[in-house]
Amino acid sequence: MSKRSPLFALTLVNAVLVIVASYALLRLFDVCFKHEPNPATVIWSAHIAMFWRIGIGTYAAAIASPMIWLFARRDIDRALNVTLHATMFVAVLLGVQGLAFP
Amino acid sequence: MIADTLLRALERIHGHLGVLGTAALLHPAILLRRPNRRAPLAVAFATALVSATGAIGAYLYPIYRSRLKQEIFIHTPAVGWIFERKEHLAVGAIAFAWIGFIAHIVAPNLEPKHKEPLQKLAQRAFALSFLFSLAVAVFGVVVASVKGF
Repeated sequence: MSKRSPLFALTLVNAVLVIVASYALLRLFDVCFKHEPNPATVIWSAHIAMFWRIGIGTYAAAIASPMIWLFARRDIDRALNVTLHATMFVAVLLGVQGLAFP
Repeated sequence: MIADTLLRALERIHGHLGVLGTAALLHPAILLRRPNRRAPLAVAFATALVSATGAIGAYLYPIYRSRLKQEIFIHTPAVGWIFERKEHLAVGAIAFAWIGFIAHIVAPNLEPKHKEPLQKLAQRAFALSFLFSLAVAVFGVVVASVKGF
């Protein structure tokens, strides 16, 4: 495999992390700052917020990917270290959002 | 409109695959604790299983919203919120399985100084995916015991 492999894998991994972090932050924003109707009073809505959040997260990941690529190319060791820490941070973020701010 | 029998069957397949996926995720989470341990099949199988479960869940979700969500929130709002929690955490279960898969597949072809952190990342991602998946499975059983298609 080529020498570029860690770079590509790191970019992919961080893109997935961006999707998850965006998802959690968007839901946190909705819960904290938007007035949502009681689900018991909503018969049906065409807007499926969960799919939208994943879509927006994917868009954000596509935007962030070239920047992640450039950062990782400049200092691959640091990028690996940052990714390891970012993985834990994003997991805690989603865990807290998912459990405490559904 | 999709037949109720088919929906019920899909719902059960989704649930059973979810529990199997949780068990399958524990395997790489334990195996990859040993550095240099290769387990591409276990990793691919666990990731495929949890992704297939997620795909069925994503198919069922709009139907759940139109047919069941309001009723669950009227009669048992606590269970409705447990379902919401399950959906959020499921995103993590699938995403971290894919992170583990990517890291594990790429790691062996790298120089040792890059290989080690990626192997660590793969193990960590599968452990996180397992934890998310376990919570999702427990919440899913709670919801299924109250209301289904």
